[in-house]
Amino acid sequence: MTAQPRHARVKRKIGKTHGDRIFDAFNLAFWLAVLVVILYPLWLVLIASVSGAEALFAGKVWLWPVDFSLIGYEAILNHSLLLRSYLNSIIYTVAGTALSVIVTMMAGYSLSRAFAGKKLVSLYFVFTMFFTGGLIPQFLMNQRLGLYNTVTLMIIINCVSVWNLMIARTYISTSIPNELHEAAVVDGAGHFTYFFRIVLPLSGTIIAVLCIYYGVARWNDYFTALVYIRDETKYPLMVILRQLIVQATSGTALDTLMGFFGDGKTISEAVRKAEVVKYCCIVVSTVPVVLLYLQMQKFFVKGVTIGSLKG
Amino acid sequence: MQPVISRVSVTLRGAARRVGRAARRDWQLYVLLLPAVGLVFIFCYLPLYGIQIAFRDFKAVFGITGSKWVGLKHYADFFASWQAPRLLLNTLLLNVYGLLWAFPVPVVMAILLNQLELRRFKRFTQTAIYTPHFISSVVMVGMLVLFLKPSSGLVNIVIEKLGGERMDFMMLPQWFRTLFIGSDLWQHAGWNTILYIAALTAIDPGLYEAATIDGATKTQKIRFIDIPHMVPIIVLLLILNCGAMMVSNTDKALLMITPGNMSKSDIIGTYVYRMGLQNGQFSYVAAINLLVNVINFALIVTVNQIAKKLNDTSLF
Repeated sequence: MTAQPRHARVKRKIGKTHGDRIFDAFNLAFWLAVLVVILYPLWLVLIASVSGAEALFAGKVWLWPVDFSLIGYEAILNHSLLLRSYLNSIIYTVAGTALSVIVTMMAGYSLSRAFAGKKLVSLYFVFTMFFTGGLIPQFLMNQRLGLYNTVTLMIIINCVSVWNLMIARTYISTSIPNELHEAAVVDGAGHFTYFFRIVLPLSGTIIAVLCIYYGVARWNDYFTALVYIRDETKYPLMVILRQLIVQATSGTALDTLMGFFGDGKTISEAVRKAEVVKYCCIVVSTVPVVLLYLQMQKFFVKGVTIGSLKG
Repeated sequence: MQPVISRVSVTLRGAARRVGRAARRDWQLYVLLLPAVGLVFIFCYLPLYGIQIAFRDFKAVFGITGSKWVGLKHYADFFASWQAPRLLLNTLLLNVYGLLWAFPVPVVMAILLNQLELRRFKRFTQTAIYTPHFISSVVMVGMLVLFLKPSSGLVNIVIEKLGGERMDFMMLPQWFRTLFIGSDLWQHAGWNTILYIAALTAIDPGLYEAATIDGATKTQKIRFIDIPHMVPIIVLLLILNCGAMMVSNTDKALLMITPGNMSKSDIIGTYVYRMGLQNGQFSYVAAINLLVNVINFALIVTVNQIAKKLNDTSLF
């Protein structure tokens, strides 16, 4: 990421040309504009979520919160279905990610070693990236297996991403020296011992990358639940958000909204307040993911380049 | 005769022994593979068996194999329908226009980011432009809906203040592609710079030093050092992207489709979902899906072959 320091120093010694200074000025202006475009919508969501409903509708909320209030967040805390879905999402994400990571690491380790039939196994995985049965055959099969409307399905479906598998394989075969394996074999270790005692402890980076990739994908996924889950109590957060925010014009969604303020207030007032609640929903669903990303940032970039440049 | 047979049998026995020895030595590797192989089998390979309903008239009571064969009837129906050309064209155009924007923007951003000299500002910028990548499609479309709402959306309020008229953007077909591609850019253009930045980072700093000493300006360095070094990865990614021209981003399109904008927003993926899971026309929809999957498969295999050839001869 930072190839510059040496040549930047040289340049400062030599001095910049007039053209370079103009270039730098324009470049800086460009990036300031990009930052505004990227960050302003996020800021807007944040301030709208803590502003008053009337101010929001009047268009007064555009730079700072107006009529600061937390009613939106209070409403979320009082909405049992939303809380339930939040819990569901946490369960699906944690369990699904844990399973995905261990299964991917195991297979990734195997594929990093030589064994009879390795080509065939690789082809077996890669083929699924190129060709799938399609939504309906998948649906029928999962239904026949008794997985429709089950928590199990939400955890084990899409458990192995072939892309992530290749990242894991490449990481293990390039970052863990083969001498370790030879030494382990001399000491009488089998693949199990070597994998669990040596490879896993040395794979912190790639495990972090996989956790985030799998975890974010699970947390953000609404489509699987839309297709396979019928009971409201099993819905993940994103399905509820879809109903609340995206489909809010339809009758059912309005009913759900009224659930927030079912205390005899007028519909228009409820709808206005619900608008604030929607912003709050975005905040509570997105903040955990963004915080996780900011924490793990350095691993991320590494993971992307491992998979794509060397894989 | 005799010696030939015995030679064959010796070779066979040798092969069997080798396999046996390999299995004894490596059985733990196969065990480690087993969970992944099993899960992929359940969710990717079993459905392949269900594809046959594309050529049957599927009725739940008869099951998959019990339903009547109808041959290519569903394809005849599909191509006779008025939706067919619209769906195929909408899917293709959304991807083509998407690529026209989504492809060059990260390249330009990577080059310009690489020229930023304020290191802390550069790092902050990088962090900021990657962030939207992690926002879910539901939240992304939710933000569009909220910002563009005719009643309370800030965009419409501003439009009215400037003397314009409020618009229901999500209902207007002419806005669908702009919003779809624009929000994609906002979310992913920053993230997609990563590979290009990696390519730029790999450039020998000595080249820049030499260029500086020779009096090269920044634009000249971009033109004669940066861009030539990025060409291989640009070409590779462009080719690979071309393999996805008939893929549906159902996830997002399904969120953005409204009764108003369907003439532009109805793509194969949304049609399959609507007609299949909502209207229960399983066989018909499976047939359409299969056709598109075969097209996608052919495209991907072709572009991969091309990429491989270029890789061998001209890339690295």
